[in-house]
Amino acid sequence: MQTGSDRNEIEFWNVSKRFQLQEGRTLREFLPALLRGRGWGGAFYALREVTFTVGHGETIGIIGSNGTGKSTILKLIAGVMAPNEGEVRVASRVSPLIELGAGFHPDLTGRENIHLNASILGVSGKEIRERFDDIVNFAELREFIDTPVKRYSSGMYMRLGFSVAIHSNPGILLVDEVLSVGDAPFQEKCLDKMHQFQEQGVTIVVVSHSMDLVKKFCRRVLLMEEGRLTADGDPEEVVQLYLEKVSPSVEIASSSQ
Amino acid sequence: MSQAQAAKRYPLMRPGFRVADVGPSLATFWQQRELLWNMTVRHLRGQYKQSILGYSWAIVNPLSQMLILSFVFSLILRIPSQDVPYPLFVLVGLLPWIFFSSALASATDSVANAASLVTKVYFPREILPTAAVFTKLVDLAFGMMILVALMVYFGHPPEWTAVWLPVLFLIHIIFTLGLAFPLAALNLFFHDVRYLVGVALLLWFYVTPVIYPESLVPERYQIVFDLNPNAVFVSAYRRVLLQGTGPGWDSVLLGLAVALITFVAGYYLFKKMESGFADRI
Repeated sequence: MQTGSDRNEIEFWNVSKRFQLQEGRTLREFLPALLRGRGWGGAFYALREVTFTVGHGETIGIIGSNGTGKSTILKLIAGVMAPNEGEVRVASRVSPLIELGAGFHPDLTGRENIHLNASILGVSGKEIRERFDDIVNFAELREFIDTPVKRYSSGMYMRLGFSVAIHSNPGILLVDEVLSVGDAPFQEKCLDKMHQFQEQGVTIVVVSHSMDLVKKFCRRVLLMEEGRLTADGDPEEVVQLYLEKVSPSVEIASSSQ
Repeated sequence: MSQAQAAKRYPLMRPGFRVADVGPSLATFWQQRELLWNMTVRHLRGQYKQSILGYSWAIVNPLSQMLILSFVFSLILRIPSQDVPYPLFVLVGLLPWIFFSSALASATDSVANAASLVTKVYFPREILPTAAVFTKLVDLAFGMMILVALMVYFGHPPEWTAVWLPVLFLIHIIFTLGLAFPLAALNLFFHDVRYLVGVALLLWFYVTPVIYPESLVPERYQIVFDLNPNAVFVSAYRRVLLQGTGPGWDSVLLGLAVALITFVAGYYLFKKMESGFADRI
């Protein structure tokens, strides 16, 4: 029997992530650098010694300006990247709602893409067949399900991607700005679904620039600044702190005109 | 349920893949065969969509090559073809070669082409090159059907030794995968790789006895063919399909050994580089 929040779902221990800045990737550029015994271009730290844990069933928000490492954190949780230093531990199936429909094949129909995308997210064929109708109904694509997805509008594309992801029975849901796209009724529906997940004990990590959404939806917020975790706590307080840090520069900018 | 158990079920990308990890990693890969199947079907369905001839293209390519090669090398250059009509002789070598070269070319690009997936969702990345290789197996199967039809038409139905074909194909696939893995990974780090593969395949074609019989090779160059697994496989295909002799077990077992070593080494290199894929794409 799982007893809930005493179990950690995500753990980051002193995690650092480095990227090479070098853009060129041909042997011609690499071999001379190697011969001179040098590294391959400069390094840039996207994350520096970040430590936090997320309990089972918690909903946390991550805020911060662009390029401060928010998306890198999501990629480390999703397991598509490895940290250079430190350790990342994740305890259950992660379903990323990052750029929905990433795995869609434009020439395949909605039906074919549901099967493909769900199996990429780790759903078995049997589970997919059981949930197929729910996925189609949630996406409101019943009449277009046998149309190639390249004929879909961007809204339809996104609805299908969202629907597949939320029906993949995730233990951890990663949400990156996706709620800002789509029309109002569908956004409403997505938020309802996310509240439902919260009640079911799904752990949710939200990255957003919408302070209202973060305050409304999260019980805890992390603030990222230049790859470092600088605040971790109550949404109201952390959002306030962030706005104070951002707004002086805005005032300076406007007064210098 | 303990956390350690759960963490085991949801592996994350980790640097520092060791040789000892190859076994467990292949077991995980096997568990994901349903995804591999779906990926392969996706490739197949996407491959000839919006083309009028559809899957027929899988046959048009080898048949047209067979015709032109027969014209040049049989009618003009009069290359001997081991007492079988040259079109059959060349097609038996051509089909496995087309499989090998198109599978390798497509696998090399497979991970780079799936950039949007690789940077977002975790799944064993070896599924991508493997699906690319398996997709080409379907073309091979269509080609083999045409070959058998042509053999009957020319009055040379397949010998009973053709039952060895699945074994030979299996070894050939293992060898192809062994090369496909590291090439797909390296292609992300150096874009030169795809061009290199194109040139290498072109040269490799001529040192593989597809358009000529191995018996024409001068003694002192024989070593080139003994060391070339594709030459071993092509010769074995001819023996079991056209000549009715065994596949030449000495060389086939050697081919198997080379294929297995290539596979394990290639897989190891791929997994070693895997944790850097999302950084590089």
